[in-house]
Amino acid sequence: MKTDLNKKYLPLTILCIIVLFALVILIDPVGPLEGKIDPIFGLYVSRIIKISAVYAICALSMNMVNGFTGLFSLGQPGFMAIGAYTCALLTLTPEAKQAVFYLEPIAPFLANIHAPFIVAMIVGGIFAAIGAFIIGFPVLRLKGDYLAIASLGFSEIIRVICVNAQSITNGANGINKIPTDITALLIFVVLAVVTIFMLVMMKTSYGRALLSIREDEVAAQAMGINLFKHKMIAFVISGFLAGIAGAMLASIVGAIDPKQFMFTLAYTLLLMVVLGGQGSISGSIVGAFIVTIAQEVLRFVDEPINIGPIHYPGISGMRMVVFSILLMCIILFWSRGIFGNKEFSWNRLFGKKAKSKLKKEGGEA
Amino acid sequence: MADERKLILETKDMSIHFGGLIAVNSFSLKVYEHEIVAIIGPNGAGKTTAFNMITGVYTPTEGEIFLDGQKINGIRPDILTSHGMARTFQNIRLFKNLTVLDNVLIGHHVHKEAGFFSTVLQLPKAAKEEEEMRKHSLELLEFVGLLEYKDEIASNLPYGLQRRLEIARALATRPKLLLLDEPAAGMNPTETEALTEFIHEIREKLNMTILLIEHHMQLVMDISDRIYVLEYGKEIAHGVPKEIQSNPKVIKAYLGEEDDE
Ligand SMILES: Nc1ncnc2c1ncn2[C@@H]1O[C@H](COP(=O)(O)OP(=O)(O)OP(=O)(O)O)[C@@H](O)[C@H]1O
Ligand SMILES: [Mg+2]
Repeated sequence: MKTDLNKKYLPLTILCIIVLFALVILIDPVGPLEGKIDPIFGLYVSRIIKISAVYAICALSMNMVNGFTGLFSLGQPGFMAIGAYTCALLTLTPEAKQAVFYLEPIAPFLANIHAPFIVAMIVGGIFAAIGAFIIGFPVLRLKGDYLAIASLGFSEIIRVICVNAQSITNGANGINKIPTDITALLIFVVLAVVTIFMLVMMKTSYGRALLSIREDEVAAQAMGINLFKHKMIAFVISGFLAGIAGAMLASIVGAIDPKQFMFTLAYTLLLMVVLGGQGSISGSIVGAFIVTIAQEVLRFVDEPINIGPIHYPGISGMRMVVFSILLMCIILFWSRGIFGNKEFSWNRLFGKKAKSKLKKEGGEA
Repeated sequence: MADERKLILETKDMSIHFGGLIAVNSFSLKVYEHEIVAIIGPNGAGKTTAFNMITGVYTPTEGEIFLDGQKINGIRPDILTSHGMARTFQNIRLFKNLTVLDNVLIGHHVHKEAGFFSTVLQLPKAAKEEEEMRKHSLELLEFVGLLEYKDEIASNLPYGLQRRLEIARALATRPKLLLLDEPAAGMNPTETEALTEFIHEIREKLNMTILLIEHHMQLVMDISDRIYVLEYGKEIAHGVPKEIQSNPKVIKAYLGEEDDE
């Protein structure tokens, strides 16, 4: 886990961060420069970049469990749904709620509560973390890959609840009119905080304990690592992060419905993590941006195309097929992903290699 | 045997059944402070299974196990490690993709006092603890002679050094009892000799008590204070190396077995 903030490249790193944040402010239609300038690439691009950053947080959340701790969880859509609905219900004004819940009135205990976005986001994260604890408690004690099944089941249960709990979630119609005043700056600050948190954590004893579980559970336990406790830490934090990401997503899009949190979302996130490199923090971020942007670029495969005499009718859902094939190919042929389990480093970018002390001799191995 | 010495480990009639197979049958063992005790026996005799019961991986079907006078049947391996027991594995089980230093640092985690959040937020006490962990790890690597390899990936080390690293990782948990499962397996004569010396050094300098399984007779006879011999899960002899070497039952059990893997 080297993040070479070493002296030589420090100015370069700082410069990149400043440029990044300047861009973040310049692309944003809302925020510090609201009304003073036009966002440089227009609304559409700004929205995609915001969504990419939110997915980066989701991918980091998944990487924490799947990449660092070596578990296999597909619970992200469920946690995101919890965060998104919590945020929606807390940020909608009481009047807006009345308008949105026209089929069946909103449950009385929800009708008048209202909170600013930051509070709503954190509460969403906490609820998602509680959800993670509840499924983790029975499942994380078991050996084997029960977590994949249980977490996927959990996601589906949450989605079904969202469809049916009409007076709380407004059912299949979803919730719209969610205030969309979240700034790109806020999203990127949260992404930066999450990234720094993960980088620091992985350098501490607790981070290494998670890695040891991924490397060899039996040996980790023999070295005194409480497997259940450490898996739970990873899983609950992952739930929290997915929850706040869900909240941000609700606030970017302005409307949520159960279909956005289908299990296929878990595969998309998995693609981001694997593409970037399981166990790499920088990898998850890069993977999230690539996949989110590619999804937009690939929209054309869902639409009819006419090239001269060739007519392609356009099959909706084709994108998902393309993505599934891509995921399979990456897992089969390129499971290391872009970064492997390493972090971004200027040294590596500029092709410098660390020296090894081991002489390359033909001894037995 | 002067019995005023402190008893570190004791098993009383420890047995385990796997279906119809009795892998270990009524095995009683005593290990006193500062001793090196060996368990030997032909392949499949139940030596590793005995280790797995002592370290909490399996719960014995019958019998009792005491560590420092406390009954430990059915206690989880990680808890036993925090009470001063550490082991290595017959087939090396390092954290392969992590560095040598990280492997040893993970051994220290069991004694971590600071909680998760104070550690990640690097509150002063937790930060100091992390720093001490690192310092101890480097000292330990120096002691075992692996300091120059600290940044190497564990699986890149030559075989003999991987075995040594596994012992170092176990030592990092600050055990009072160290269990070594065939530490010389796969080593050449030079490496075996170095290992013999290394085990001696661990006992003397760290005041360690050691229980080991080994097929390599030279090493066992050189190093052990006492030896237990298992065959088909049952103890067929125990005593000091001289007695074992001349015991007809032991000779018979080993007839047709190479004394070296
Ligand atoms: N979990 C298990 N389930 C069923 N049988 C087992 C299990 N573990 C060990 N055994 C059996 O118990 C017997 C003793 O195995 P063990 O590994 O303890 O032998 P060992 O003395 O360590 O041999 P070696 O010198 O080859 O390492 C073997 O017959 C083995 O197949
Ligand atoms: Mg064995």
